[in-house]
Amino acid sequence: MRQSIWKFNTRTVVTIGIGAALYGATSWIGIPLIADTQLRPAIALLAIFGALFGPVVAFLAGIIGHIISDFVQGGIVWWGWALGSGITAAFMGLIFLSKGFNPQEGQVSRKHLLLFTVYGLVGIVVSLTFSGLFDIYVMNEPNDKILAQVALASAANILVFLVLGLPAVWAFAKRNRENTNLSVDR
Amino acid sequence: MSKGGGIYVAGDSWVHRLDGAVKLILWLIWTVVVFMFLDLRLFAVMIAIGVALLWSARIPLRKMAFLFWFLIFFTFTNAIFILLITPTFGTTLTGTNTPLIPLGYNTINKETLFYVLTLSAKYITLLPLTLVFILTTHPSRFAASLNKVGVPYKIAYAVSIAFRYIPDLTQEFKHILNSLSARGLGITKEDGTIAQRMKNLTLVVVPLLQSSLHHIDAVSNAMDLRGFGAHPKRTWYMGMKMSSVDKTVLLFILLLLALAIYLKVSVLKGFWYPL
Repeated sequence: MRQSIWKFNTRTVVTIGIGAALYGATSWIGIPLIADTQLRPAIALLAIFGALFGPVVAFLAGIIGHIISDFVQGGIVWWGWALGSGITAAFMGLIFLSKGFNPQEGQVSRKHLLLFTVYGLVGIVVSLTFSGLFDIYVMNEPNDKILAQVALASAANILVFLVLGLPAVWAFAKRNRENTNLSVDR
Repeated sequence: MSKGGGIYVAGDSWVHRLDGAVKLILWLIWTVVVFMFLDLRLFAVMIAIGVALLWSARIPLRKMAFLFWFLIFFTFTNAIFILLITPTFGTTLTGTNTPLIPLGYNTINKETLFYVLTLSAKYITLLPLTLVFILTTHPSRFAASLNKVGVPYKIAYAVSIAFRYIPDLTQEFKHILNSLSARGLGITKEDGTIAQRMKNLTLVVVPLLQSSLHHIDAVSNAMDLRGFGAHPKRTWYMGMKMSSVDKTVLLFILLLLALAIYLKVSVLKGFWYPL
């Protein structure tokens, strides 16, 4: 039985905490692309947490994880990009709500993967556009420079999502399918 | 970095003794005020106040040096990048154009240079108060103060768990990387092409995820056994009562916010450009 995504029990609280820690602990890894824009594999973890626990948990884990990792390594918090991480994660978590999707028990069809890809791509573009607008209006950064950063960051995140996030969810489901789909030997 | 300690620096200055919630509010309002302006004079004053606060908190310099240089490096690359991509952006803010440094395809003008200086100052102004907040507030107090300013305690608790488990998960991540590279599936330069290394990185994800799921099980069972979430409210072991100093500081913060709004509305409306 699946419960409402708005209900917070102990497990939800712990999942948000551990998810945030996981995102925070791995988001320092990155390949620099241009000034202050990186290709960060940690985006894949947001996809996985979204798929396993739904949009609300993923949103909070993304935001908290990003803020904490900013604290630890950057000194100042990049609010626009932290919210962006949360929004990306929330979009990716939408797949959790679709019917019959349950990677914990290996139930992931090709149709689900297609839908997941769409949610992921839309989420990445929407959230980075948001982060860019935030930087333009709140931090007064120049538009053209932000456009370059947003375009490159989107490309990098999409690449990570497709190369790392999608296969990881698939692998996770496959591994669980092998454990649950027993057939009777006659 | 001790477990659960984060980058907190123990101490007994008056800043350390301030209620975490007051420091949290101070940091948030400071951030909002910085967001509102693009004025070098104001940033200079704010940086001076921030540095004075840091100094009175008596935090050892070497604790801050790394974060400071990191931010300087960031703002510097950011500035260079802006100058290269939009060398005449300053003109859109001031309406004047004073060419200064030829680039070949365009010319960096004085307005943009001054704008870049102001923008860098804007980033740097955010730093001192963030440092005051994170270096003098114990992570457990941090959760208590989040709860005090109105964040639901379950979310505050999730933040506290995140702080607690970052060192553990970092360790685990390293273990998995090591065990993979022992089998020739590392992610360093010696392990093959970029594609090969990316592929090896995908192998880390599933074990890391599995171990996190184990953590989630263990921790949530332990918390359930202790009756977490049984009541709509909870108290905090590290929670503090507001002292008179806290209340005075809070009053000052509100006055500063009012002053900032007044300044924004009537004096320092836009970009300040004296040249």
